[in-house]
Amino acid sequence: MIRRKLSIILENKPGALVRVVGLFHQRGYNIESLHVDPVIELKKYKYVEDNLNIKIAEGEVSHLKITTTVNDNLLRQILRQINKLIDVLMAEEIK
Amino acid sequence: MKLAGNDILIQSLLKEGVEYIFGYPGGAALHIYDAIFNQKKLQHILVRHEQGATHAADGYARATGKPGVVLVTSGPGATNAITGIATAFMDSIPMVVISGQVAKHLIGTDAFQETDMIGISRPIVKHSFTVESAQKIPEIVKQAFHIATSGRPGPVVIDVPKDTTAPDKLFDFSYPSKVKIRSYNPPVNPKSSQIERAVEAILESEKPVIYAGGGAINSNASKELFLLNEILDFPVTNTLMGLGVYPATHERFLGMLGMHGTYQANMSMHNADLIIAIGARFDDRITNTPKLFAPNAKIIHLDVDYSSVSKIIEANIAVFGQVKNSLSEIIKLLNKKRDLVDNKKIKPWKEQISEWKDLHGLNHQMYLNESDNKSIMPQAVVQHTYNITNGRAFITSDVGQHQMFAAQYYHFDEPRKWINSGGLGTMGFGLPAAIGVKLAYPKEEVVCITGEGSIQMCIQELSTCTQYNLPIKIININNEALGMVKQWQDMIYGGRHSESTYQSSLPNFIELAESYGHVGIRIEKNSELKSGLEKAFSLKDKLVFVDVYVDPDEHVYPMLVAPNGSLKDMWLDKDNKT
Ligand SMILES: Cc1ncc(C[n+]2csc(CCOP(=O)(O)OP(=O)(O)O)c2C)c(N)n1
Ligand SMILES: [Mg+2]
Repeated sequence: MIRRKLSIILENKPGALVRVVGLFHQRGYNIESLHVDPVIELKKYKYVEDNLNIKIAEGEVSHLKITTTVNDNLLRQILRQINKLIDVLMAEEIK
Repeated sequence: MKLAGNDILIQSLLKEGVEYIFGYPGGAALHIYDAIFNQKKLQHILVRHEQGATHAADGYARATGKPGVVLVTSGPGATNAITGIATAFMDSIPMVVISGQVAKHLIGTDAFQETDMIGISRPIVKHSFTVESAQKIPEIVKQAFHIATSGRPGPVVIDVPKDTTAPDKLFDFSYPSKVKIRSYNPPVNPKSSQIERAVEAILESEKPVIYAGGGAINSNASKELFLLNEILDFPVTNTLMGLGVYPATHERFLGMLGMHGTYQANMSMHNADLIIAIGARFDDRITNTPKLFAPNAKIIHLDVDYSSVSKIIEANIAVFGQVKNSLSEIIKLLNKKRDLVDNKKIKPWKEQISEWKDLHGLNHQMYLNESDNKSIMPQAVVQHTYNITNGRAFITSDVGQHQMFAAQYYHFDEPRKWINSGGLGTMGFGLPAAIGVKLAYPKEEVVCITGEGSIQMCIQELSTCTQYNLPIKIININNEALGMVKQWQDMIYGGRHSESTYQSSLPNFIELAESYGHVGIRIEKNSELKSGLEKAFSLKDKLVFVDVYVDPDEHVYPMLVAPNGSLKDMWLDKDNKT
């Protein structure tokens, strides 16, 4: 089991954050720390725009950072579950 | 065109091609109900309990492939719908549930019939929406139907605060023609590299099995599956959810696998060198102990849902996309490599499987041994039903022994004919689901094979059947007990039948059915079984409730040995294990 940092970009809409947080509980994963901000500094997030071929406006999406302790298999499963949420644009591990 | 919020909602549903909406009125939904009253195109089906509405919509969706639509009021209406939403969620059934909500200014005040529907339903929906204003309704409805029906389908809740459907405020109505949700892009077509790897593994295998589940039905892939196997000639097994996606009467079909799967299906999976999983999710009722699952098999997993692959069993080759499309691509590539397909290679494997089948396969003609000295066998009830309906009926079921007997002994040759709650295992599903199926296919035979425990969980829907004239046939396999619970208690708890019998408290189902205006037929002897069932099916315009008293001590076999068993570890009858 290793400590992982997850980086999640999601729509800044009511109810979006709680879906991600709720998923951890539903699937039996633990959250150790959590931080969320609206994305203002757009140039840092160009990779999201390039990856998904979209344009993001200021404050339109949020950046959620979560740390959790899981093994590799579970990590992949968590990321796939998070990515499956309709309001999530991208979820990945920060190495 | 200028319309009020309530009319905008109904017009939006009509734009989505909705023909039936299953529901139950109440305060927060009354503006919407008024809009329903003022039009004729969308038919509302008034159930007797909101759980019935969700199961009826679910049955409609499973039979047609189109989304089922539900309308309930806030508070208790919404919470009553939860079991049905969870049922649809577990089986990936497309459904849109519209729940009334208290007006926006009352939200958070513990107002009368206020409940946080979005919060309560969150873990059991694919997505949910709150309507903030009437103008947003068309876009939300469009997105909700898109999400419910695309990718891996599922239920979507739209919570509608009462003020957004007020009849006195008018807005311009136009319905969006297209929908794009930038954060939602389920895979459609597989990558060619994945297809190449899959085909390579297929060509190498000597002991292959095709394992197809509900996802193959959701993707309408039965034709592609059939065509693929005309090339490959592989043995096929289906999950409980997948029954019908490959013709059950085909000689390549092994029967269902898993907990109550056939001996040959479970043995084939256990000993395979290649498993092609198609829209199936390696549920614990299939794998038994995952560590012991199919020790020598390479796994090719075709699925539309990334998170279903390598969740329980690691896939060697993952093929993401609509499984219909993935199968088409595999067929195309195989056609190019036709000279490399060697059907003779799997001959010894097929011989082995046929030996297994001869050794411990199911007896599909138990009715040949009937006599009035013996109790009615529940399996024979299903076998007669199969024969009388020529195997063509829609069969809905509930949960328990009767469900497993139906799955084992009714041979489904077509997809969408077997309608049952596989994932959540919801008792009470069968009758309301049959309502949805019968409305969708009024000319087809629709049969609910149920148990006296399950049928009582939504029996109030007999009244709905009267109101809408739905001549469903209900076959109640009456063992006067929560049979499946009792079976577990026999096998695992030393025969201690804790709370699994009713001590002569069962109703007279015949009189009960008659009181709703239906016909009841009681069958207690083997000599009455065939003729009683034939009579029921001859009454074309009537709902007939056939109450069949069967051997209360019968168990469902085979049954996987758990915990710590593999797929080759099965109880074959009360005394014998593999
Ligand atoms: C709503 C619900 N409650 C409890 C269960 C657990 N359960 C599974 S099968 C079963 C017995 C069902 O009895 P019956 O409908 O008579 O079917 P039988 O097994 O006797 O054929 C029960 C209680 C369930 N699946 N669903
Ligand atoms: Mg029973």
